[in-house]
Amino acid sequence: MSFNGKKVGEDLKKAFSTGVSYMMPSVIVGGIFLAIALSSGTPTDEGMVVTNPFLQNLNTIGVAGFAMMIPILAGYIAYSIAGKPGLIPGMILGHIANTPLGDEGVSTGFLGAMIVGIMAGYLARYVKTWKVGPTIRTIMPILIIPIITTFIVGMVYIYILAQPLSGFVTSLVHFLSSLQGGNALLLGLVIGAFTAIDMGGPINKTVTAFTLALMAEGIFEPNGAHRIAVAIPPLGLAISTFISRRKYTKAERGMGVSAGFMGLIGITEGAIPFAVNDLKRVIPAIMIGSAVGGGIGMLQNVGTYIPHGGLIVIGAVDGKLWFFLAMLIGSLVTALILHFTKPDLQEADPPSKTK
Amino acid sequence: MKIVGVTACTTGIAHTYMAQEAIEKECQKRGYEVIIETQGGMGIENELNEEEIASADAVILAISIGIEGDERFDEKREEGKVLTLDPSVVIKNVSNVIDQLENL
Repeated sequence: MSFNGKKVGEDLKKAFSTGVSYMMPSVIVGGIFLAIALSSGTPTDEGMVVTNPFLQNLNTIGVAGFAMMIPILAGYIAYSIAGKPGLIPGMILGHIANTPLGDEGVSTGFLGAMIVGIMAGYLARYVKTWKVGPTIRTIMPILIIPIITTFIVGMVYIYILAQPLSGFVTSLVHFLSSLQGGNALLLGLVIGAFTAIDMGGPINKTVTAFTLALMAEGIFEPNGAHRIAVAIPPLGLAISTFISRRKYTKAERGMGVSAGFMGLIGITEGAIPFAVNDLKRVIPAIMIGSAVGGGIGMLQNVGTYIPHGGLIVIGAVDGKLWFFLAMLIGSLVTALILHFTKPDLQEADPPSKTK
Repeated sequence: MKIVGVTACTTGIAHTYMAQEAIEKECQKRGYEVIIETQGGMGIENELNEEEIASADAVILAISIGIEGDERFDEKREEGKVLTLDPSVVIKNVSNVIDQLENL
């Protein structure tokens, strides 16, 4: 088999997307129940402490959801590469990556899970190609492949990768959680701008993966910025169709209503129809709007506990007022920019004649 | 002409169904027979069976994740009748994509 760099790149991209896709419901379950439980807690030096027994049980569900996300991610990364034989080795190895090892409690979370998932996937795929006799063949998928894959990748991870990776993860987490003022603002601006740039496409999903990784480490502010920014492109365009009616066709004004709705439920794709018609004006406007929203969110330490955006998730937000304000201000910025950059339409369909 | 395909995106709530709709609309406009399976957040819907795949002239896989039942298309792949691309490409420029399918 010859090495094909482009093919490997595509395989990896597909594998990460598959992992994130299957992991998402687990993060949502974890985030919602944690948010409900923590919102009733008492703040102490050691974080929020939940005292009510019922809410403690909800907390247990939330913690379980978060604990499952890493193994599921690694499992489905391996599944995407190797098919069914990769799934369980990936999950087991992902669990190892998320478990503190040895005296120092070395764990590598999201990053480690991605790496062991890929390794498990390729190794399982390779073992699948072995030519074996008919007797062995029947036990390949349930015995040979899982045992060989988990043993080899597990040993490589524990003895070689865990230590350096953990150092990297720890310093990254430390750096990001200590961000304040100007640096936090900068991170928020970048997250916001890249969230909007392709309206729910691969760059947006890369930002999602990044913020999910930080959620796994207990840092919720970048996810907050991202979740604010997600809603701004469709909301901003919806507002724009209302305040700048002359600049949109009747059909576009109709789409503005559905875009507003999609913004409230956090679906950035609602902006796509507008952008397709006027790429060079719409993209900068939504990037700047989302950047402003993301920046405000980071600056005000808005944290979001679930990986979904828009106003509907506000129950799972820490810093609700600024979550709302950042979204509103960002949307208004987008609408204002469009008001000044978009030309009036020269058409036989003036707004005054339409209902 | 008969076209079958699968759409699947990362989150499984928007692009999957937008791509499905785009392909179906464009094919209906051109008078083609079309069946699109979706593998979104609800799992597999409108599942393609062996017969439908075997009788298709071209297969489109608008996917950004690994899909279930990928091996169903192996035969068509050997015939060079499978086009694989990202769902967002289909949504942005569906007529171009269907042109490519015609020329497989």
